[in-house]
Amino acid sequence: MATDPQRPGAGARTAGGVDEATLTGRARAGDRDAFGELVRRYADQARRVARAVLQDPEDADDAAQDAFLSALVKLEQYDPSRPFGPWLMRIVANAATDRRRRRRVRQAEALDEGLIAGGQRPDAVAERELLGERLRQALAELPERRRMAVVLFDVEGYSHAEIGGILGMPEGTVRSEVFHARRRLRTLLTDWREEG
Amino acid sequence: MKDGNTPFDHKPDRMLGDALRMALTNQGQAEFVARVMAAAQRPADQPLMDVLARWARLGIAAALTAALVATIVASRGDRAATESAVGGADPEAVVAGVQAPEAGVLFAAYTDR
Repeated sequence: MATDPQRPGAGARTAGGVDEATLTGRARAGDRDAFGELVRRYADQARRVARAVLQDPEDADDAAQDAFLSALVKLEQYDPSRPFGPWLMRIVANAATDRRRRRRVRQAEALDEGLIAGGQRPDAVAERELLGERLRQALAELPERRRMAVVLFDVEGYSHAEIGGILGMPEGTVRSEVFHARRRLRTLLTDWREEG
Repeated sequence: MKDGNTPFDHKPDRMLGDALRMALTNQGQAEFVARVMAAAQRPADQPLMDVLARWARLGIAAALTAALVATIVASRGDRAATESAVGGADPEAVVAGVQAPEAGVLFAAYTDR
Protein backbone atom coordinates (compact mmCIF):
# COMPACT_ATOMS: atom_id res chain seq x y z
CA MET A 1 0.00 0.00 0.00
CA ALA A 2 1.27 3.43 -0.82
CA THR A 3 2.17 5.79 1.95
CA ASP A 4 -0.69 7.77 3.37
CA PRO A 5 0.68 11.01 4.74
CA GLN A 6 -1.37 11.14 7.90
CA ARG A 7 0.97 13.56 9.59
CA PRO A 8 2.14 15.84 6.84
CA GLY A 9 4.51 17.68 9.10
CA ALA A 10 6.77 14.68 9.38
CA GLY A 11 6.20 11.43 7.55
CA ALA A 12 5.06 12.65 4.19
CA ARG A 13 8.16 14.70 3.58
CA THR A 14 10.53 11.77 3.80
CA ALA A 15 8.36 8.68 3.33
CA GLY A 16 9.59 6.30 0.66
CA GLY A 17 13.19 7.40 1.12
CA VAL A 18 13.02 10.54 -1.02
CA ASP A 19 12.17 13.83 0.59
CA GLU A 20 9.52 16.04 -0.92
CA ALA A 21 11.81 18.90 -1.81
CA THR A 22 13.80 16.53 -4.03
CA LEU A 23 10.65 15.04 -5.52
CA THR A 24 9.08 18.38 -6.29
CA GLY A 25 12.34 19.61 -7.78
CA ARG A 26 12.53 16.58 -10.04
CA ALA A 27 8.85 16.86 -10.97
CA ARG A 28 9.39 20.50 -11.83
CA ALA A 29 12.22 19.50 -14.13
CA GLY A 30 9.82 17.20 -16.00
CA ASP A 31 10.41 13.90 -14.18
CA ARG A 32 7.11 12.06 -14.55
CA ASP A 33 8.07 9.38 -12.04
CA ALA A 34 8.69 12.00 -9.38
CA PHE A 35 5.31 13.54 -10.05
CA GLY A 36 3.77 10.05 -9.90
CA GLU A 37 5.33 9.49 -6.50
CA LEU A 38 3.84 12.75 -5.22
CA VAL A 39 0.44 11.70 -6.56
CA ARG A 40 0.78 8.33 -4.82
CA ARG A 41 1.70 9.94 -1.52
CA TYR A 42 -1.14 12.42 -1.54
CA ALA A 43 -3.84 10.60 -3.50
CA ASP A 44 -5.83 9.37 -0.50
CA GLN A 45 -5.53 12.65 1.33
CA ALA A 46 -6.60 14.70 -1.69
CA ARG A 47 -9.54 12.41 -2.40
CA ARG A 48 -10.71 12.60 1.22
CA VAL A 49 -10.53 16.37 1.38
CA ALA A 50 -12.38 16.64 -1.95
CA ARG A 51 -14.98 14.18 -0.72
CA ALA A 52 -15.52 16.22 2.43
CA VAL A 53 -16.62 19.03 0.11
CA LEU A 54 -18.42 17.14 -2.65
CA GLN A 55 -19.67 14.03 -0.84
CA ASP A 56 -20.01 11.99 -4.02
CA PRO A 57 -16.89 9.80 -4.41
CA GLU A 58 -16.74 10.16 -8.20
CA ASP A 59 -17.04 13.93 -8.06
CA ALA A 60 -14.37 13.92 -5.38
CA ASP A 61 -12.02 11.90 -7.59
CA ASP A 62 -12.64 14.26 -10.51
CA ALA A 63 -11.82 17.24 -8.32
CA ALA A 64 -8.73 15.56 -6.88
CA GLN A 65 -7.53 14.78 -10.39
CA ASP A 66 -8.12 18.39 -11.46
CA ALA A 67 -6.10 19.47 -8.45
CA PHE A 68 -3.12 17.24 -9.25
CA LEU A 69 -3.07 18.41 -12.87
CA SER A 70 -3.34 22.00 -11.73
CA ALA A 71 -0.50 21.43 -9.26
CA LEU A 72 1.63 20.00 -12.06
CA VAL A 73 1.09 23.15 -14.11
CA LYS A 74 1.72 25.41 -11.13
CA LEU A 75 4.79 23.60 -9.79
CA GLU A 76 6.93 26.53 -10.92
CA GLN A 77 5.13 28.65 -8.36
CA TYR A 78 5.74 26.22 -5.50
CA ASP A 79 8.36 27.25 -2.94
CA PRO A 80 10.33 24.06 -2.14
CA SER A 81 11.44 25.48 1.21
CA ARG A 82 7.86 25.18 2.42
CA PRO A 83 5.90 21.95 3.00
CA PHE A 84 4.24 20.56 -0.09
CA GLY A 85 1.11 19.18 1.62
CA PRO A 86 -0.55 22.47 2.58
CA TRP A 87 0.27 23.93 -0.84
CA LEU A 88 -1.35 20.96 -2.56
CA MET A 89 -4.33 20.84 -0.20
CA ARG A 90 -5.08 24.47 -0.95
CA ILE A 91 -5.32 23.55 -4.62
CA VAL A 92 -7.48 20.53 -3.77
CA ALA A 93 -9.83 22.61 -1.63
CA ASN A 94 -10.19 25.20 -4.40
CA ALA A 95 -10.71 22.53 -7.06
CA ALA A 96 -13.43 20.87 -5.01
CA THR A 97 -15.15 24.14 -4.20
CA ASP A 98 -14.98 25.27 -7.83
CA ARG A 99 -16.44 21.99 -9.02
CA ARG A 100 -19.29 22.26 -6.56
CA ARG A 101 -20.03 25.78 -7.74
CA ARG A 102 -19.66 25.10 -11.47
CA ARG A 103 -22.09 22.32 -11.89
CA ARG A 104 -24.62 20.36 -10.04
CA VAL A 105 -22.86 17.65 -8.15
CA ARG A 106 -23.98 14.10 -8.61
CA GLN A 107 -26.21 13.25 -5.75
CA ALA A 108 -24.56 11.04 -3.21
CA GLU A 109 -26.25 7.71 -2.87
CA ALA A 110 -29.33 7.97 -0.77
CA LEU A 111 -28.88 6.63 2.70
CA ASP A 112 -30.67 3.50 3.69
CA GLU A 113 -33.48 4.69 5.93
CA GLY A 114 -33.34 1.49 7.93
CA LEU A 115 -29.67 1.96 8.64
CA ILE A 116 -30.12 5.58 9.58
CA ALA A 117 -32.88 4.66 11.97
CA GLY A 118 -30.52 2.30 13.74
CA GLY A 119 -31.90 -1.06 12.71
CA GLN A 120 -30.21 -4.37 13.27
CA ARG A 121 -26.51 -4.55 12.56
CA PRO A 122 -25.74 -8.00 11.22
CA ASP A 123 -21.95 -7.93 11.34
CA ALA A 124 -18.87 -5.82 11.85
CA VAL A 125 -18.55 -4.84 8.18
CA ALA A 126 -22.09 -3.62 8.00
CA GLU A 127 -21.55 -1.81 11.26
CA ARG A 128 -18.53 0.02 9.91
CA GLU A 129 -20.42 0.90 6.75
CA LEU A 130 -23.29 2.22 8.77
CA LEU A 131 -21.00 4.33 10.92
CA GLY A 132 -19.36 5.64 7.75
CA GLU A 133 -22.74 6.57 6.31
CA ARG A 134 -23.74 8.34 9.47
CA LEU A 135 -20.50 10.27 9.64
CA ARG A 136 -20.76 11.32 6.00
CA GLN A 137 -24.33 12.40 6.60
CA ALA A 138 -23.30 14.39 9.68
CA LEU A 139 -20.42 15.96 7.78
CA ALA A 140 -22.73 16.92 4.93
CA GLU A 141 -24.86 18.89 7.36
CA LEU A 142 -21.90 21.03 8.40
CA PRO A 143 -20.88 24.19 6.55
CA GLU A 144 -18.27 23.46 3.88
CA ARG A 145 -15.36 25.24 5.60
CA ARG A 146 -16.12 23.48 8.87
CA ARG A 147 -16.08 20.13 7.12
CA MET A 148 -12.73 20.81 5.53
CA ALA A 149 -11.27 22.20 8.74
CA VAL A 150 -12.09 19.14 10.84
CA VAL A 151 -10.93 16.71 8.16
CA LEU A 152 -7.67 18.57 7.63
CA PHE A 153 -7.06 18.72 11.39
CA ASP A 154 -8.27 15.40 12.78
CA VAL A 155 -7.78 13.17 9.73
CA GLU A 156 -4.84 14.68 7.87
CA GLY A 157 -2.99 16.15 10.83
CA TYR A 158 -2.41 19.68 9.62
CA SER A 159 -1.93 22.41 12.19
CA HIS A 160 -4.44 25.20 12.72
CA ALA A 161 -2.00 27.64 11.11
CA GLU A 162 -1.55 25.42 8.06
CA ILE A 163 -5.29 24.98 7.71
CA GLY A 164 -5.69 28.74 7.93
CA GLY A 165 -3.34 29.02 4.97
CA ILE A 166 -5.14 26.29 3.05
CA LEU A 167 -8.62 27.67 3.58
CA GLY A 168 -7.67 31.33 3.60
CA MET A 169 -8.99 32.10 7.07
CA PRO A 170 -7.49 33.28 10.37
CA GLU A 171 -6.13 30.63 12.71
CA GLY A 172 -8.69 31.54 15.37
CA THR A 173 -11.50 30.92 12.91
CA VAL A 174 -10.02 27.52 12.10
CA ARG A 175 -10.02 26.62 15.81
CA SER A 176 -13.64 27.68 16.06
CA GLU A 177 -14.64 25.69 12.98
CA VAL A 178 -12.87 22.57 14.26
CA PHE A 179 -14.52 23.04 17.65
CA HIS A 180 -18.05 23.19 16.23
CA ALA A 181 -17.47 20.30 13.85
CA ARG A 182 -16.06 18.13 16.62
CA ARG A 183 -18.94 18.86 18.93
CA ARG A 184 -21.38 17.60 16.32
CA LEU A 185 -19.36 14.59 15.23
CA ARG A 186 -18.37 13.50 18.71
CA THR A 187 -21.99 13.49 19.77
CA LEU A 188 -22.69 11.16 16.90
CA LEU A 189 -19.78 8.88 17.80
CA THR A 190 -20.75 8.80 21.48
CA ASP A 191 -24.33 7.91 20.62
CA TRP A 192 -23.01 5.20 18.36
CA ARG A 193 -20.86 3.72 21.12
CA GLU A 194 -23.75 3.75 23.55
CA GLU A 195 -26.06 2.12 21.03
CA GLY A 196 -23.46 -0.59 20.48
CA MET B 1 -12.16 9.57 21.01
CA LYS B 2 -10.12 9.81 24.19
CA ASP B 3 -11.90 10.21 27.47
CA GLY B 4 -11.74 13.77 28.69
CA ASN B 5 -11.27 15.25 25.21
CA THR B 6 -12.84 18.61 24.71
CA PRO B 7 -13.67 20.17 21.37
CA PHE B 8 -10.95 22.76 22.05
CA ASP B 9 -8.15 20.17 22.17
CA HIS B 10 -5.19 21.32 20.19
CA LYS B 11 -4.18 17.82 19.23
CA PRO B 12 -5.92 15.74 16.59
CA ASP B 13 -8.56 13.39 17.95
CA ARG B 14 -7.30 9.96 16.98
CA MET B 15 -10.61 8.16 17.25
CA LEU B 16 -12.62 10.77 15.43
CA GLY B 17 -9.87 11.03 12.83
CA ASP B 18 -9.81 7.28 12.23
CA ALA B 19 -13.59 7.14 11.94
CA LEU B 20 -13.64 10.02 9.47
CA ARG B 21 -10.76 8.50 7.49
CA MET B 22 -12.70 5.27 7.19
CA ALA B 23 -15.82 7.15 6.11
CA LEU B 24 -14.11 9.32 3.50
CA THR B 25 -11.46 7.07 1.96
CA ASN B 26 -12.32 5.92 -1.53
CA GLN B 27 -11.09 2.55 -2.72
CA GLY B 28 -8.91 2.05 -5.76
CA GLN B 29 -5.90 4.23 -5.04
CA ALA B 30 -3.77 2.57 -7.73
CA GLU B 31 -6.46 3.13 -10.37
CA PHE B 32 -6.77 6.75 -9.34
CA VAL B 33 -3.01 7.32 -9.57
CA ALA B 34 -2.94 5.67 -13.02
CA ARG B 35 -5.82 7.86 -14.14
CA VAL B 36 -4.10 11.05 -13.00
CA MET B 37 -0.85 10.07 -14.68
CA ALA B 38 -2.66 9.26 -17.93
CA ALA B 39 -4.42 12.62 -17.82
CA ALA B 40 -1.12 14.36 -17.09
CA GLN B 41 0.38 12.94 -20.28
CA ARG B 42 -2.60 13.78 -22.47
CA PRO B 43 -1.86 17.48 -23.04
CA ALA B 44 1.61 16.70 -24.41
CA ASP B 45 0.34 14.00 -26.76
CA GLN B 46 -2.79 15.60 -28.15
CA PRO B 47 -3.16 19.34 -27.76
CA LEU B 48 -6.34 19.21 -29.84
CA MET B 49 -7.86 22.35 -28.44
CA ASP B 50 -4.63 24.24 -29.00
CA VAL B 51 -4.58 23.13 -32.63
CA LEU B 52 -8.20 24.12 -33.14
CA ALA B 53 -7.65 27.44 -31.45
CA ARG B 54 -4.63 28.13 -33.66
CA TRP B 55 -6.63 27.26 -36.76
CA ALA B 56 -9.45 29.52 -35.66
CA ARG B 57 -7.04 32.40 -35.08
CA LEU B 58 -5.49 31.91 -38.53
CA GLY B 59 -8.93 31.81 -40.17
CA ILE B 60 -10.06 34.99 -38.49
CA ALA B 61 -6.83 36.78 -39.41
CA ALA B 62 -7.16 35.69 -43.06
CA ALA B 63 -10.78 36.84 -43.23
CA LEU B 64 -9.91 40.24 -41.73
CA THR B 65 -7.02 40.71 -44.18
CA ALA B 66 -9.23 39.81 -47.16
CA ALA B 67 -11.93 42.22 -46.00
CA LEU B 68 -9.37 45.00 -45.57
CA VAL B 69 -7.88 44.44 -49.02
CA ALA B 70 -11.33 44.35 -50.63
CA THR B 71 -12.27 47.62 -48.91
CA ILE B 72 -9.10 49.36 -50.12
CA VAL B 73 -9.53 48.11 -53.69
CA ALA B 74 -13.17 49.14 -53.81
CA SER B 75 -12.36 52.56 -52.35
CA ARG B 76 -9.61 53.19 -54.92
CA GLY B 77 -11.85 52.05 -57.76
CA ASP B 78 -14.62 54.47 -56.77
CA ARG B 79 -12.21 57.39 -56.47
CA ALA B 80 -10.65 56.71 -59.86
CA ALA B 81 -14.03 56.43 -61.50
CA THR B 82 -15.21 59.67 -59.92
CA GLU B 83 -12.10 61.60 -60.93
CA SER B 84 -12.25 60.47 -64.50
CA ALA B 85 -15.96 61.18 -64.69
CA VAL B 86 -15.70 64.82 -63.61
CA GLY B 87 -12.52 65.48 -65.56
CA GLY B 88 -10.59 66.93 -62.65
CA ALA B 89 -13.39 69.26 -61.51
CA ASP B 90 -14.57 69.41 -57.96
CA PRO B 91 -17.11 66.57 -57.59
CA GLU B 92 -19.29 68.71 -55.32
CA ALA B 93 -19.41 71.44 -57.93
CA VAL B 94 -20.52 68.93 -60.49
CA VAL B 95 -23.30 67.66 -58.28
CA ALA B 96 -24.37 71.15 -57.16
CA GLY B 97 -24.26 72.64 -60.63
CA VAL B 98 -27.40 74.06 -62.23
CA GLN B 99 -26.77 72.36 -65.51
CA ALA B 100 -26.45 68.67 -65.72
CA PRO B 101 -23.00 67.48 -66.77
CA GLU B 102 -22.61 66.26 -70.27
CA ALA B 103 -23.01 62.59 -70.67
CA GLY B 104 -19.83 62.35 -72.76
CA VAL B 105 -17.79 63.81 -69.93
CA LEU B 106 -19.60 61.84 -67.32
CA PHE B 107 -18.98 58.48 -68.98
CA ALA B 108 -15.58 59.26 -70.40
CA ALA B 109 -13.90 56.86 -68.03
CA TYR B 110 -15.96 53.99 -69.36
CA THR B 111 -16.09 54.88 -73.05
CA ASP B 112 -12.30 55.38 -73.16
CA ARG B 113 -11.62 51.80 -72.09
